[in-house]
Amino acid sequence: MPAQSPVEVPVESPVRRERTVRDFGWNVVVWNDPVTPMTVVVVIFKRIFGYPDTRATQLMLTVHHEGRAIVWSGSRERAESYCVKVQVAGLQCTIEQDR
Amino acid sequence: MSAHRLFVRRRDGRIQVRLNEVGRSIAREAFGHVVAAERDPEHEWGATLTAPVDPTRDADDPVTTLRRQQATATNAELAVATLHEEFLTDAEAWAWLCTLQVALRATAVSRGLLTDEKLAEADSDVLSEVQTLQQFLFELAACF
Repeated sequence: MPAQSPVEVPVESPVRRERTVRDFGWNVVVWNDPVTPMTVVVVIFKRIFGYPDTRATQLMLTVHHEGRAIVWSGSRERAESYCVKVQVAGLQCTIEQDR
Repeated sequence: MSAHRLFVRRRDGRIQVRLNEVGRSIAREAFGHVVAAERDPEHEWGATLTAPVDPTRDADDPVTTLRRQQATATNAELAVATLHEEFLTDAEAWAWLCTLQVALRATAVSRGLLTDEKLAEADSDVLSEVQTLQQFLFELAACF
């Protein structure tokens, strides 16, 4: 039997682990405005986030009734990227960290 | 019934633009304003186009803001370049939708129409401008 060769097991460094933990909990928030047609908001949510019609409509109604809705949560980098896409599509959108 | 619709999704996936000359001139003006606002930091629509990504920070990441500026400008320039087309590809129609929506919100923000009450009090010319853009967007969104 040949001697067992050492197998390299990737180990996450503490620094990386810490960054990963902190990188979650960022929300993409879309804000209500009095002029944007509801159907436009639904289309934008479907197109950018790939949500089905029911989910996109539910989120649009939350924006409409509550003034804002968290439409996506995850890492800061991706939240920023989604926020920019939503802003480019003309909606008022920001990111915030989970409290 | 599609006879009176302004935008129609065809079976081959393209979107037919049925705006007349007046409609296209309104779209041209909206697209042109977005292009101008992206080039001129002093433009009255600047506040809408430079809204913060993370309001808790004094300034957003310059790479993020540059990405947004480029994407908005690319959409607006594509919309201008296809203004006289009868048929739009899906990507071109998306550029129209984004640019019209940016124009709608920028119009509202620059006129202070930030609530339903303010919108109801707006003068008839402004209201007509807003309603026309809303109608374009409503019908274009139905194609997606």
